[in-house]
Amino acid sequence: MPEQEPEPGDIAPGRQRVVWRSDQVLIQRDIPGLGDLRDDTSAGRLLVRSFVRAQLGLSLVCLTFALTVTASFPVIAAMVPAVGRTTVAGVPLTLIVLGFAFYPVFLAVGWFYNRHARQLEARFTHLVDPASRRPDA
Amino acid sequence: MPDAAVGAIAFVTLLTIIVGARGIRVARTPDDFMVAARQVPPALNAAAISGEYLSAASFLGIAGLVVAQGLGALWYSVGYTAGYLVLLLLVAAPLRRFGAYTIPDFAVGRLGSRGLRQTATALVLVIGWFYLLPQMKGAGITLQWVLGAPYWVGAATLGLVVSCNIAMGGMKGITFVQCFQYWLKLCAIGIPALVLLIAAGHHSSPNLTPDRAPVFTRATVVSVTQATGFTLTHSATATVTGLLDQRAYQDQAVGLRAGRHVAGAGTRIGFAAGAPVPVSLAMEPSSSDSWDSPFLTSSTGGAHPLAATYGVIIATFFGAIGLPHILVRFYTNPDGEAARRTTLIVVLLLSSFYLFPTVLAVLTRMHAPQLYLSSDSDDVVLALPGQLLPGLPGELLAALVAAGAFAAFLSTSSGLLVSVAGALSHDFMKRGVTTFRWCAIIAGGIATVAALLIEPFSLALLVGWAFAIAASSFCPLMVLGIWWRRLTRTGATAGILVGGGSCLAAIVSAMLGAAASGWGAVLLGQPAIWTVPLAFAVMIVVSLLTQGTVPANVGQVMLRMHLPEALSRQAYRTAGQASWHAPDRRAPGP
Repeated sequence: MPEQEPEPGDIAPGRQRVVWRSDQVLIQRDIPGLGDLRDDTSAGRLLVRSFVRAQLGLSLVCLTFALTVTASFPVIAAMVPAVGRTTVAGVPLTLIVLGFAFYPVFLAVGWFYNRHARQLEARFTHLVDPASRRPDA
Repeated sequence: MPDAAVGAIAFVTLLTIIVGARGIRVARTPDDFMVAARQVPPALNAAAISGEYLSAASFLGIAGLVVAQGLGALWYSVGYTAGYLVLLLLVAAPLRRFGAYTIPDFAVGRLGSRGLRQTATALVLVIGWFYLLPQMKGAGITLQWVLGAPYWVGAATLGLVVSCNIAMGGMKGITFVQCFQYWLKLCAIGIPALVLLIAAGHHSSPNLTPDRAPVFTRATVVSVTQATGFTLTHSATATVTGLLDQRAYQDQAVGLRAGRHVAGAGTRIGFAAGAPVPVSLAMEPSSSDSWDSPFLTSSTGGAHPLAATYGVIIATFFGAIGLPHILVRFYTNPDGEAARRTTLIVVLLLSSFYLFPTVLAVLTRMHAPQLYLSSDSDDVVLALPGQLLPGLPGELLAALVAAGAFAAFLSTSSGLLVSVAGALSHDFMKRGVTTFRWCAIIAGGIATVAALLIEPFSLALLVGWAFAIAASSFCPLMVLGIWWRRLTRTGATAGILVGGGSCLAAIVSAMLGAAASGWGAVLLGQPAIWTVPLAFAVMIVVSLLTQGTVPANVGQVMLRMHLPEALSRQAYRTAGQASWHAPDRRAPGP
């Protein structure tokens, strides 16, 4: 649809001319969005569910990683008793791992999660809210 | 003797009372608190959360347990930090967006049921009281150590100060005070740790010289877990039960000459105040091995160390979500995104703090081993500065530690008592500021009396138990409530009652000494390993059986919890007619 130049003079009094860009018309008609969330349509429900599922997936991936790194240590130490007795430069390995090494892992996982959760939200907002796509909005 | 310590404790306490008195005008009802604290930037808010969170267990308990039990006790500090990572991943942003500021509020807003609300409130009281006990114990042993006062004096002092302070309206909404408490605690443990590290590093172990012998400041029973050789610097009379110098005694007074003695495993030696502290010559190699072990066997009599360790891991990793006094702080974030940033900063602040108890525990192990001959090791952090640095510097450091410890008891028990008194007055009695004040005094009194009974238990262990109850009741409620739309009120109630109830029962029977060894000791002493999965299972199964009662507005609630604020505001503008149980306490929008 080519954009049409508005012609002055053909609006009835009291009315307002609204200019639609072609891509906006497509978005409004074809893509489920805020209206579907508002009206609780099946498309809207599907959208929210898939978004919540994506968020939960991200959380579970991060949680699994953090739990695997930390909670595997006792199992390893139980299976290979030498691990519990190892010293690094005179310092027990247990002290290094439990006293210091896990904290940077927690921080890294948290930072990764925050970054990706924010991106997921931004993408979803983009998807359902055409207003956020308008360059002038 | 330690005038500096007395002064420092008095200063911290007075400061708290003065700020609390000012707080009467600042914060009276929870709503005032919320509105006043709405625009708190994440860094400040994170320090406030950490200030409220770091309690007696973190400040004194972990180092004490590491000294007594070995490096495996560091799982507590790892778990207390990881709890906030789990909280960040699973609940932080949705919880802020939901807008509830107590756990019963969340339960009712999400599932809408009066019965569930009362169940949740009862659990808030159980967890709150359980968590208050170690704070009281911490105050008891701190004052015991500083003044030589009986144990109950410290517990009663803390109970009185905190109850009255809250009854007057203080410590409630003052984010800045809690923030200050965090930095005070960090300095109070960080500065001594670094100074002592430097002092100990310069001259490797000058402080075990016999002519500067430490003496017991109070009557102490030394329990010898493994056969140990020790020396006494001068002769003393002690009450001995068990094997000493190859002779068996049964609760007999024995005159011990100065010099070397050998105590058999399981021997208990009671020293009077003023007796010399026995200096351990050489810890047996087997003991040294077990000190390095990554397993945690406190409260389980050494049985099944792997299972006991996982019990602690589960309880601490998943317990932070269910603590009643933490949730309210999340509401002071402007939005869900800020809640996430705040939580990440909390993880950073906690990680920084927990480096120092570790350092102090290792220093004790290396340079002041006589401290861990004592059966109650919760005061090693207080005792260490005097052991490593003689004279005024050591005394000043000890004063700093004592002040930080008192700050820890004050801030955590204030937050807890506000939650407990709020739950009592809001749900079980008639509402109002006067009722709230009386509830604060009653709840504080009950905690103080109960604290007299729990003196034998380690601080870290007691706090770990509070976490276990939270992890087996509120953690499933929050996680399933936020992520699973098929949760029902019947399922939630059943899960809280079965999980929380069985966990509490296990802990109480462990405290009463129901099982001292074998699997019984593990399953009762570290119950989270089975009660947390049980609570999740019951909640899910009962919910699936009662699908007819899924709340009608679950779609709306999910939308509101998970959508970014800007989006859900737009989606709500026209859908506002749907019934909404949680009261909207947002400040009036534009």
